[in-house]
Amino acid sequence: MTLTTPTPHQNKGRTRKSRRSPYLTALTTARGRTGLLLVLLVALAGVLAPVLSGHAPTDQSGDTLLPPLSAGHPLGTDDLGRDLLSRVLYGIRADLGIIAVAVPLGAAAGCACALLAAVHPVVDTVVQRAFDLVLAFPGLILALAVTAVLGPGRTPVIVVIAVAEIPVFGRQLRAGILVQRGREYVAAARVGGTGRARLLTRHILPNATDPLIVQLAVSLTVAVFIEGAMSFLGVGVRPPTPTLGGVLSQSMPYLSQHPNYAAGPLLAVTALVLGLSLLAEALNREVRR
Amino acid sequence: MTRYLLKRLPSALLVLALASFVVFSILRLIPGDPASSLAGPDASAETVAAIRARLGLDEPLFTQYAHWVGDLVRGDLGPSYAIGGDTASLIGDGLAATAQLTLGALVLVVLIGGALGIAGATARRGWVRGAVRAVTTGALAVPPYVTGVLLVLVFAVALGVLPPGGHASFLDAPDLAVQYLLLPALCLALPSAAVLGRYLKDGIEHALAEDYVRTAKAAGVAPRRLLWRHAVPNALPPVVTLLGMQTGHLLGGAVLVEAIFAWPGLGRLAEQGLTRRDYPVVQDLLLLLVAVFVVVQLLTDLVYAWLDPRIRWE
Repeated sequence: MTLTTPTPHQNKGRTRKSRRSPYLTALTTARGRTGLLLVLLVALAGVLAPVLSGHAPTDQSGDTLLPPLSAGHPLGTDDLGRDLLSRVLYGIRADLGIIAVAVPLGAAAGCACALLAAVHPVVDTVVQRAFDLVLAFPGLILALAVTAVLGPGRTPVIVVIAVAEIPVFGRQLRAGILVQRGREYVAAARVGGTGRARLLTRHILPNATDPLIVQLAVSLTVAVFIEGAMSFLGVGVRPPTPTLGGVLSQSMPYLSQHPNYAAGPLLAVTALVLGLSLLAEALNREVRR
Repeated sequence: MTRYLLKRLPSALLVLALASFVVFSILRLIPGDPASSLAGPDASAETVAAIRARLGLDEPLFTQYAHWVGDLVRGDLGPSYAIGGDTASLIGDGLAATAQLTLGALVLVVLIGGALGIAGATARRGWVRGAVRAVTTGALAVPPYVTGVLLVLVFAVALGVLPPGGHASFLDAPDLAVQYLLLPALCLALPSAAVLGRYLKDGIEHALAEDYVRTAKAAGVAPRRLLWRHAVPNALPPVVTLLGMQTGHLLGGAVLVEAIFAWPGLGRLAEQGLTRRDYPVVQDLLLLLVAVFVVVQLLTDLVYAWLDPRIRWE
């Protein structure tokens, strides 16, 4: 590495860079890039599922448990003779569909709760206790309780993820609002006659969103966790519809005879989750700065 | 401390009371009637009604709730509907198996997390630090069911040294029991070990940069003694608190790990109870799990307050 004296030009470049949104800066770090690449790759595979595979994910050919690289089945077939490549690709699609609905839903509901709580101390207490209640159910216990009522399926998975995320986002935003409220600019705005609602939505909220963006990335990872875990517990999306967790859990009985069966879903889940958590970490580092 | 406990206790009790209400209502919302599923498809209306009366299901919901809570407080869990046997003994057996798994995992968390933390903070070679970082990131990012499948593939299928799943009693065959315990405990322990390792590494690095360590080093204290007698003890308090929080996570995660490794614990019992509509088992079980979680959280808060007096006076 060579040492250079900083020229005014370079300094200017640096300030411009630091003024750029921290989210964009985060995406240009090594972590951010790798994470983004992995997530995009997996997402693309899911989106292009119908193009990339010649089989429907539920089509049963006669040949069961074919090894990978068989003719017409690059990843082989499963115990019912379904093409594994298309099951994994459609599984990605199903997972993306679930997390893309559930996480924003939970985030929006959580933030709404936090905003409501910011209006009045009594509401705050009620909302806090409600959050405590949800948090008292460890994730999968919540999953069992919800599916006890709704039965297994896609909607319960979405409900479980969303409900589990509500207190996470709610607490995050509440803490942010409390911190910002003590700042001087808020006092100044209040003295200047800014109304309560406007103060909250136009002044405090924009300054309290950074941790929420990081949390969004973390929560997407958690959502993939929950989907798979519910499939393993037998309360997830109903077969024959493939999901990443579902295909992986179906491969469990065949691990000793046909370990290749698990390879596809294993790789896809790992890539997706690793990508998301690298993204979360990159964002966290940049935002905290 | 007592003051803080008195301040925190009501809200913990409130959460428990609310949770008991939620658990009770959830089970009443389940489509289907336990009495008719117990009686079987061919039973006459009278038989179903008789079963309903015997189980107390014909009483108003509020009376049922009061009965349930009253019995709970007296420690009388009653018989199970469908699984057979006593609810208390069913839950007791499940709890024993789950506690075994959780304790095994806790030991591994301390061992692996400690090794990761110390290696990450003190290793001079870059590749060791890199490896520690990779292991912690990977163990945190990858879901337990992926690690579970990988562990089975490596240790049970490729190497064939450990069984892929199952359970043996510690009393009858201790060596076999340890073999069965190792993989699920490892699978459960890895994420928590990674968190612990990270905190410990940061703590030790922080402590090693302190002035007193420099002074001790200048006075000729051996590096090994410096690490074990000075840096590690000072890095421990937050790690101990973290361990408490992770115990709660381990209990929650045990449900999933039990499903992967066919471990006959509380998770399996909950699954059985739900599919067979066994109200008493499921509601007592859910409440027990929530209660354990609430108590662990309360204890963690207390340790926090004990370590940091500012929290007590807030």
